Amino acid sequence: MTNEFEQGGTLSVDERAKDSTVVFGFWMYLMTDLVLFASLFAVFAVLRGPEFGGGSIQDIFSLPYVLLETIALLTSSFTCGLALLSAREGSVRGTILWLSTTLVLGAVFVGMEVSEFSRLIAQGFGPSQNGFLSSYFTLVGTHGTHVAIGLLWMLALIVAIARKGLSRGNMRKLALFSLFWHFLDIVWIFIFTIVYLTGGSL
Amino acid sequence: MKNYFEEIGLWPRSHGIARAYVVGFVLSLLLTFVAYGLVTEDALPQQLLIAAIVAAAALQFVVQVYCFLHLGIDRSSRQRLFVLSFAALIITILVSGSLWIMFNLNGRMMPDTAQQEQYMNDQVGF
Repeated sequence: MTNEFEQGGTLSVDERAKDSTVVFGFWMYLMTDLVLFASLFAVFAVLRGPEFGGGSIQDIFSLPYVLLETIALLTSSFTCGLALLSAREGSVRGTILWLSTTLVLGAVFVGMEVSEFSRLIAQGFGPSQNGFLSSYFTLVGTHGTHVAIGLLWMLALIVAIARKGLSRGNMRKLALFSLFWHFLDIVWIFIFTIVYLTGGSL
Repeated sequence: MKNYFEEIGLWPRSHGIARAYVVGFVLSLLLTFVAYGLVTEDALPQQLLIAAIVAAAALQFVVQVYCFLHLGIDRSSRQRLFVLSFAALIITILVSGSLWIMFNLNGRMMPDTAQQEQYMNDQVGF
C-alpha cells in the first residue's frame, strides 16, 4: 500500500528523508530513555520490600493529590496534541495558545511534585532515610527532571514559533517535542500505578 | 507545511487524528479513574486488585501509544514499532531478571551461620 503522501507534498525528497530520519533518531533516544526508566522501576520494585522502616507507604502519600498531578499531566499531553493540530491548520496563534496551555499544566505538575518532595523531606521522609525512599526519589525525581527539561524546551519552542512562524524547522521541533511529551505521560502511567496505587498493597 | 507531520511519518494519516486525540484522552481519563476507584474503594481482594490496576495501566499504555504517539501497524510506523519491540525485550529481561535474582537471594544463601562459618573456615583467604 502506498502512502498518499509519498508523492507531491510540501517537502522535497531530500527534506523529507532528512526530517523523517531525525524523527526516527529521536524515537531511538526515547526508547533508550525507556530502558533507563525500566531500570529505575526494577530498583524500586526490589527496594520497596518489607524492610521499609518509616511507617506505612500509604501514610506518607496522599492519593487524591497524586490523582490531581496525573490529570494535570494527562491533560497537558492532550493539549500538546491540539497544538500539533493547530500547527497543521497553519494557525500560529492556535499553536502558541495550546503550547502555552501545555506549559502551564506541565508547570502545575512540576510544582505539585516539588511541593510533595519538600513536604516529605520536611516530615523526615527524605531520600537518605531508607532504600525505599531512595529509590522513590530517584524514580519520580528522574521523571520530574525530564518534565522540567520539557518545560524549558516548550518555552524555547514558543519563542521560536512566535518569531519565525510555522517554518519547516519549527514544525520539526514541534514534532519531536510532542513525542517527548507524550512519552513522559506514558512513563507517568506506570509511576502512578506501580509507585502510588500499589504502594500500600504489594 | 500543511501535510508536514504526515510527510515525515509522524502521523500515519490525515483524517481522524483529532478524533484519535480526543478518544485517547477520554479513554486515558476513564482508565485512570477506574484504577484509582478500585484502590480507594478497596472492593477487590488484593491479588485481583493488583492484577486489575496493572491491566488498566497496560491498556492505557496501548491507548496512548496508539492515539497520542500514532504508532500503529501501518507502514510508516513499522521502523518505530521495531525499536519499541526491541526496547520491550530488553526491559522484560532487565526487570524480570532483576526481580528473579533479588527475590531468590534467601534461597541461595547458606542455611545457617554454623554452616557459613564452616564454609569460611574451609576456604583459604576468608
